[in-house]
Amino acid sequence: MFDLLFQGFAVVFQPQNLIFVFVGVLIGQVVGALPGLGPAAGMALLLPLTFGLEPATAIMMLAGIMYGGQYGGTLTSVLINVPGEASGVMTAIDGHAMARAGRAGAALSIAAIGSFLAGMAAVMAVALITPPLASFGLKFNAPEYFLLAALGIIAMGSLGGAPIRSLIGGMIGLMVAMIGVDPLTGTPRLSFDQPALFEGIDFIPVAIGVFGIAEVLSSLERVHSVQPIRTRLRDMWLTSADWMACRFAIVRGGIIGLFVGIMPGAGASVASLLAYLSERKFSKNPEKFGTGAIDGVAAAESANNSAAHGALIPMLSLGIPGSASTAVLLAALILHGIRPGPMLMTQESGLVWALIASMFVGNIFLLIINLPLAPLFASLLRIPYVYLAPAILAISLVGAYAATLDIATVWKCIVFGVLGWLMMKFDIPRAPLVLALVLAPLMETSLRQALLLSFGSPMIFVERPISAALLVAVIVALVLPFVTAWRKRRAG
Amino acid sequence: MQKRDAIPALFMIAASGAVFFGTAGLNFWDGVTPGARFFPAGVAGITLGLALALLWTQLRGTDQGVVDVPDRPALMRVVLTVAGLVALAAGAPVIGLVPMLMVFCAFMLVAVLRQRLLPTAITTLVIGVGTHLIFARWLAVPLPAPFGF
Repeated sequence: MFDLLFQGFAVVFQPQNLIFVFVGVLIGQVVGALPGLGPAAGMALLLPLTFGLEPATAIMMLAGIMYGGQYGGTLTSVLINVPGEASGVMTAIDGHAMARAGRAGAALSIAAIGSFLAGMAAVMAVALITPPLASFGLKFNAPEYFLLAALGIIAMGSLGGAPIRSLIGGMIGLMVAMIGVDPLTGTPRLSFDQPALFEGIDFIPVAIGVFGIAEVLSSLERVHSVQPIRTRLRDMWLTSADWMACRFAIVRGGIIGLFVGIMPGAGASVASLLAYLSERKFSKNPEKFGTGAIDGVAAAESANNSAAHGALIPMLSLGIPGSASTAVLLAALILHGIRPGPMLMTQESGLVWALIASMFVGNIFLLIINLPLAPLFASLLRIPYVYLAPAILAISLVGAYAATLDIATVWKCIVFGVLGWLMMKFDIPRAPLVLALVLAPLMETSLRQALLLSFGSPMIFVERPISAALLVAVIVALVLPFVTAWRKRRAG
Repeated sequence: MQKRDAIPALFMIAASGAVFFGTAGLNFWDGVTPGARFFPAGVAGITLGLALALLWTQLRGTDQGVVDVPDRPALMRVVLTVAGLVALAAGAPVIGLVPMLMVFCAFMLVAVLRQRLLPTAITTLVIGVGTHLIFARWLAVPLPAPFGF
């Protein structure tokens, strides 16, 4: 393993790759710091620009945006109390309270250090867990893949607050993915005689529309300037009391984040919530939580960065993304001509180990960016959003056009932008849509292949041990939220 | 429950109908293997079930979703921005993508976001020149040119 990791470092330390890892984490830092534009949106917007790059370089850069966004989101959470994305909500509670008490620097500092330590440990876990899990994945066949893909979509719903709404988001993704041609027979399907639909709907216009354009439209509803709380470099030193309060919070947050990140459908926001709640139980001063507890900030930030890295484990080993960001990364692999799945570790081991090595380097870049340069990035928040909105829309549409050189792609972006905005307004989660869109081809082909293997008998899903276990997991994920909601209603 | 709350469920019922009837000419089962309609029909059926379940929970008052209706000025900003995007996509093949992008930026900043002229002009110029330099020059993307030139 270490030989392969060192080979990965050799790839990362090539000047071009080093530059693109830096560019990736820098863009991640910026998109994370801009309210209303998270890492998934940033990755989707920049995906078309990576087509001229080597696949390994492109994936390292896009992954940099993914975990860089977790660091950047802290700035908005702490300084203006507006989380860049859902995973920053728990940070905002105590981080902004600290900032109002004149301790913004300490909050940003512990967030950066916690994210760095948990991130490095999570990358080690990715390196250790991914190869054996991929070997185990080689035992999977069509029934297992169908159930794993279904679990990915259903689990995202079961971990949210409104399972029916999450599943509806997933169904929209499956419906969009079915447009074009049947993947097994090549029969035209659901194109309604429209030439723009004959080849189906690509991932890029959907992701750019649903994440990028929809976010901008939503942000334009509330056009007001927010004055961020100022912070200085000398405010960033931590006291020994801060260190004592946070050391175990970082460890616990990192462990929770890693396990939640590995689970399909959970992601960084669930990780930071669980880490924050568990830290409140472990804390000697739980009454401080909500009023500026530094260990609350440390736990939440360690967890969300750890989860962002942990989500790569199922994506790299099984080809199943656990979050919207990893769904975009998986789509990037496919668009660069690389087939994800358990064979990825053997067929593209150079790329996988370069990606893992790049995350060590990227986290070091981010620590440097976030400790001495945090006040500089905080000044970004003073740029009025009204001037950024047209620029984001411009990059979105030109990037989408550049990917296909077809103006129909621009139209699709606009349609999915409006759909994404409507989903936000009607409280239908958008992440399951993107996840389902990526998983749909695997899901459909696996289901049909499984039934072909069994001559149409659904018993194939219970006769194979791994498949039966996955079926139980699917049923539990499907039933659990409804049982929980029913018990809550009965209790109160 | 207000009437507008039912929009997602009704939309999904319509979408499941479109998928079910849109695949009517395809085989559900093909010999010993599922046909091209098998998966879409299943998805349409599950979607219909979910939409009805959503309506049921909304009627019973147990749905946890929150509909966020923007106020009139906010809605106008969104509608005008979408109208601007539609005009951009319609005009780009004729007038060129970069010129249309600059017109769109100026329209957005002045008409939608009520910004002053000088910052608008500077932002529009930066976006137009930046887009041209990055996409047309650096990445050599053949963007639609003004009047086909």
